[in-house]
Amino acid sequence: MEQIINQRTLIFLLSSIGLITLPHAFHVPVPIISFFFVLLIWRAIGIWRPAYLPNQFLVFLLLLSGIALLVIMHQGVFGRDAGTAIFVTALGLKLLEIKTQRDLYLITYLAFIVAASQFLYVQNILMAGYTLLVCISLLGTLLCINSGSLGNWQSLKVAGKLLAQALPLTIILFIFFPRLEAPHWSFLQEDNKAMTGLSDTLEPGSISQLGLSGERVFRAKFSGAIPPNEQRYWRGPVFSYTDGKKWEQTKNTYFKRYLDKIKFFGDAYQYKILMEPQSKNWVFALEMPAAFEWPLYENGHHQLLTSESPNKRAEYDISSYVNYNTGYITKTELSENLQLPKPPESRVKDLVKQLGGFTEKPETYINHLFLHFRQNKFYYTLMPPLMAENPIETFLFDTRAGFCGHYATAFVYLMRVARIPARVVSGYQGGEYNETGGFIEVRQANAHAWAEVWLSGKGWVRYDPTTAVAPERVEQDVNIEQQIANNVVSFAPVQLDSQTLFLLKRARNLWSSVDYSWQRWIVNYDRQNQASFLSKLGISGFKKMFYWLLGLLAAVIFVFALMLLRKQKTVLDVAQIYYLQACAKLAKLGLIRAENEGANDFLVRVTEQQPQVGLAFTQITRLYVSLRYTKEPAPECLDQLQTAVSGFHPKG
Amino acid sequence: MSSASKSIALNYRNIYILPTRRGLGFVMLIALLLLIAFIYNNNLVYLLSFLLASLFFITILHTVKSLQGLVISKGHSEPVFAGEFASSKITLNNPTPIERYSVQVGINKHMALQTIDIPAQQKQRLNLAYKTDKRGWLVMANPVISSCYPFGLFRAWQRLNLDSKVLVYPMPSMQDCPLPENNQGQEQLGNAQKGQDDFYGLQSYQTGDSIRHIHWRAFAKGQGLFTRQYSGAQSAEIWLDYEQAMAASQEERLSIMCRWVLDADEAGMTYGFRLAGLILEPNQGEAHSKKCLEALALF
Repeated sequence: MEQIINQRTLIFLLSSIGLITLPHAFHVPVPIISFFFVLLIWRAIGIWRPAYLPNQFLVFLLLLSGIALLVIMHQGVFGRDAGTAIFVTALGLKLLEIKTQRDLYLITYLAFIVAASQFLYVQNILMAGYTLLVCISLLGTLLCINSGSLGNWQSLKVAGKLLAQALPLTIILFIFFPRLEAPHWSFLQEDNKAMTGLSDTLEPGSISQLGLSGERVFRAKFSGAIPPNEQRYWRGPVFSYTDGKKWEQTKNTYFKRYLDKIKFFGDAYQYKILMEPQSKNWVFALEMPAAFEWPLYENGHHQLLTSESPNKRAEYDISSYVNYNTGYITKTELSENLQLPKPPESRVKDLVKQLGGFTEKPETYINHLFLHFRQNKFYYTLMPPLMAENPIETFLFDTRAGFCGHYATAFVYLMRVARIPARVVSGYQGGEYNETGGFIEVRQANAHAWAEVWLSGKGWVRYDPTTAVAPERVEQDVNIEQQIANNVVSFAPVQLDSQTLFLLKRARNLWSSVDYSWQRWIVNYDRQNQASFLSKLGISGFKKMFYWLLGLLAAVIFVFALMLLRKQKTVLDVAQIYYLQACAKLAKLGLIRAENEGANDFLVRVTEQQPQVGLAFTQITRLYVSLRYTKEPAPECLDQLQTAVSGFHPKG
Repeated sequence: MSSASKSIALNYRNIYILPTRRGLGFVMLIALLLLIAFIYNNNLVYLLSFLLASLFFITILHTVKSLQGLVISKGHSEPVFAGEFASSKITLNNPTPIERYSVQVGINKHMALQTIDIPAQQKQRLNLAYKTDKRGWLVMANPVISSCYPFGLFRAWQRLNLDSKVLVYPMPSMQDCPLPENNQGQEQLGNAQKGQDDFYGLQSYQTGDSIRHIHWRAFAKGQGLFTRQYSGAQSAEIWLDYEQAMAASQEERLSIMCRWVLDADEAGMTYGFRLAGLILEPNQGEAHSKKCLEALALF
């Protein structure tokens, strides 16, 4: 076995490995990734200056420091992060010990594992594409080892070609390979990274932090009608208890669920909701959810929750009605939703009195309050001034500028002062309709807070005080591009050139729909999806699936075998063609040249059997042999051969 | 005996293929990736492992394809003296429009593989060296042509039934063994001896040249090995007789005979050859010496 490792292979290998580890810089701890890149660069320098490579003792020390680094960084915790770090460190250390081709293979295999570990963090199309490209370069390295004179680009090209040929088989395996339900080994599941999203308490200013985030929360694909934007309230946690500053959910959230069924009117909206990984197990259903399946369940506040781990993408089928009546209110509910932290200040009481809170019907009072917001220079802003003490009073009387959280909490507070049960609901409002993909996409910037008031005969009724100040917020949806571009929320006028914005939006929509399909069909293709997809094709049951898998694999391999292994056309040169013409003439006399019979041997045989013919055939053979087997045959030989063959008429 | 030229076209029907150890390592890699995919329920890791698995299957075809269509033919093998390496020349012809990379040819596990690339529609010649130790016909082990292209995960191979054999002459004796004196004429022998001094030039050393004739002075000066050439022995006629070759064993006696034939031929003598029942009348020239050496080889 030849064990010489050439420089070209090493350069190929090291650059592939650098590329494959690069994205890990985002999730592997900095000391470990730096350690890795130091080793990589060290090894790369060693290609040109082998003397600088560490000796065995130094390698041993590096190994120890690598282990120490791992122990310090991960404290013996075994899981995704630790595993990735171990593979990255092992890969780095192994780089310093390349002696034989075996080492090259080991490193390449390790690199494939490191590439795969990337997918445990990021699963989008870009990462998949990137990893595919790096895989081509890793395969190019293996090609370099196994093909002497194949050039670098040629290696990459061949590797890409082979990869492309592997795709049909890959697709079949992907569709038919049985997905088993993995056990939920908690020690392997990584603790949640700080994920943005709604929190389980509400402070008037808290939602504004989400206002700039374009991060997707969920997508909803409707079968049939799509609710208009002003109906798109996606229900999240409900807050009843307040200490004047912070709002919290009440503990006994299940108390009413079994007593009273909600009444629905009108047509239902049927939709599939695809949740992005979340830190909370909340599922944001369109108000009000009516039908859903396990693992979803509803709490007493008509909020949907999932009983499965929320840190994975999940898809649920839900149907909701926008017209509903929640019915009567229980005693606990009543007392919880009239709760006030302390007796209200006199200016608050005066305001309520002025708006008719103590005398008028609740509906009239609410209308007056909305008018008050609208007519008294209340501003809607993502960057409200800081309100440390008594935020509600400060907001109502001093600053008069706030985000939806301020409006909703102030509204609920003023309701409660007037002895009307009210509570704050948080969730998302709006969402962008993606025409290409046919789904509504909701982002963190759509986070919203609104109010619910209990009115006798109507049940809990939604009021969104923000609409009083900024009706565009609800009617037109948040302009996320604009927000992100300008770093502030504004609804009008549009500051960026509208054409640019339009294109931006189109591009984002298109990309988003591609991404949706990717998530839906690739990333989220689990056991249930597989079963339902295959049953649509008429393939049900494990056994049938298995037969289909084997059958299709065999068929594709067979087709490839036919294509690749069919007899290669040997390219004949002109001399050969003439010679074969002569042979064909001989074949008529029964003198058939065996496939592997040399020209001279054939001549001998011909002469033995038919001396007369052999004599004429001698010249042809001689010319042919000289044309085929001498390095530089005389140029006139070919013409001579042609004349000889055309004048060759053997007779038995 | 000239070996008839024979060619073998490689066809997938005769090509064997098995995964290499690296290929088995690759299978373990795929298994590990599948395990990761299963534990984390991660479809993209599944996808990667399926991709590698598909590649593994496709590689089988490509490895076979890397040999298919090659036409191997053997050439003539020159006789050698025992102890020398016999070489079998084979031609690897690639009549197809695709280049073949890293085609390996080897005789057995102990011998180094020869690795060559064969460009499209071209030929490559290879020399396979066989160690010889006994005189007589050496049946050359059939070489194995193999390829691990493209990724080294599989090895496809075919044993080439070329069935070449080569004649191995006895090893010329290394001892100082002067040509036998001829009882038919002291005078002639004297001439021959004298003739040895009739130095006319130097020729670069070739296998079989008498060690006695090596121009040691030139060698010591670092000018390489040269053999002194003599002339003037044309008239000498001697008999090389097995009975006169005195040594402990038959093989050593044949070695001495071999040495004599070479020395006599080199000196341009006319010599007769007597080995057991075989008698070759005095003659000279290459054909004659070849006949004598063949007789010795096959004795």
